[in-house]
Amino acid sequence: MPDSLLERFRQRDRRALARLLSLAARGEILGENLAEIPEPAKPSRVVAITGSGGVGKSTLIGKLLDFLRHHGLTVAVLACDPQSPLTGGALLGDRFRMPVPPEDDGVFIRSLAATPGRGAVADHLRLLIRILEAYGFDVILLETAGAGQGDTAVQALVDCTVLLLQPESGDDLQWQKAGLLEVADVIAIHKADLPQAEQVEAQVRGMLSLSGGRPTPVLRVSAKTGEGVEALWTAIASQPLRRAKREAALSTKDQTVMVVPTDLVPEIQALIARRSGA
Amino acid sequence: MPTSAAPIRVVLAKVGLDGHDRGIKVVARALRDAGMHVIYAGLWQTPEAVVRTVADEDADWLGLSLLSGAHLTLVPRVLHLLHEAGLDDVGVLVGGIVPEGDVAKLQEMGVARVFGPGTPLPEIVDFLRGHRRASHA
Repeated sequence: MPDSLLERFRQRDRRALARLLSLAARGEILGENLAEIPEPAKPSRVVAITGSGGVGKSTLIGKLLDFLRHHGLTVAVLACDPQSPLTGGALLGDRFRMPVPPEDDGVFIRSLAATPGRGAVADHLRLLIRILEAYGFDVILLETAGAGQGDTAVQALVDCTVLLLQPESGDDLQWQKAGLLEVADVIAIHKADLPQAEQVEAQVRGMLSLSGGRPTPVLRVSAKTGEGVEALWTAIASQPLRRAKREAALSTKDQTVMVVPTDLVPEIQALIARRSGA
Repeated sequence: MPTSAAPIRVVLAKVGLDGHDRGIKVVARALRDAGMHVIYAGLWQTPEAVVRTVADEDADWLGLSLLSGAHLTLVPRVLHLLHEAGLDDVGVLVGGIVPEGDVAKLQEMGVARVFGPGTPLPEIVDFLRGHRRASHA
């Protein structure tokens, strides 16, 4: 990594940020280079927006961008779309749904291709987030590729995971299944302007009431009408900044290294998440 | 399988007011299938918005599609803004309806190639692969 690039990045040169993100996304910043990225002045709030393809993640992020900019918060978006397992090609069509004034330096959107089989997110995301945080964005929104029921990997990278559901997406048995619903910190029933949104909300609430533990906020939101956008942000902003706490724990000198079989990793992550959430 | 080389990143956009996006979508699909990362910026983009997208996405190429007849107004505007933003190393392609007499004008301004209707898709793919960075600097 050339020194001049880092120097420009430290001076908050936007082009240097863009180039640094490319290097990081391609895995060209590793190990020793990592220490050269400046420490963030303050933690960003990192929020994952996940849900199946077509549920409205990009469009809702477009609305959130309006809302957050109106409230003076700077926002970076990492928007993941799937990469072909056959050719490595990708059509990245998320930012098309997030119209922002081009002269607004308070918004930065980067499209990323998500490697197949890696849980609907791009590689090296932790580093990409760290770079955006060092640049100083108040909020970092991470949009997953259209995620399946088991794509839970994203929650380890963020402070808060928002799961979008929509009407007409299955009967109430769907909500009893394990996976994404378990790790969501906020559940939003999107397209609330459509009929049956209330029914889905009731079903999800019913399911959650069986699991005990901390109550997960459930709310209805519509990017089309703007209903619930403010309430959604209030729910997100009332979540603790888990990630900063976790990173701080990781950076302490007295780390314990433990070798575990990979099939135990999700269980251990869940245990850690439960502990740090308590 | 993906090659070890970084995929070519291409922003595809329509500037101006015409709403014909069939061609640009066909091209987007062909470049995707050739292993490129296509950032689809879509319809009704201003030159300013396109240049912001190219900058933030750190793209190698920008493909503009115009069927409105406004290419001699909008393309120079985009090229000027790219230059102002220090993005001279980004190659610019134009597709759509461009009268033959205007092709040379666009290329003199700095457009790397103009691909008209009926261009075989592999020709566009080969061109991008053959010129990792184009020269309107």
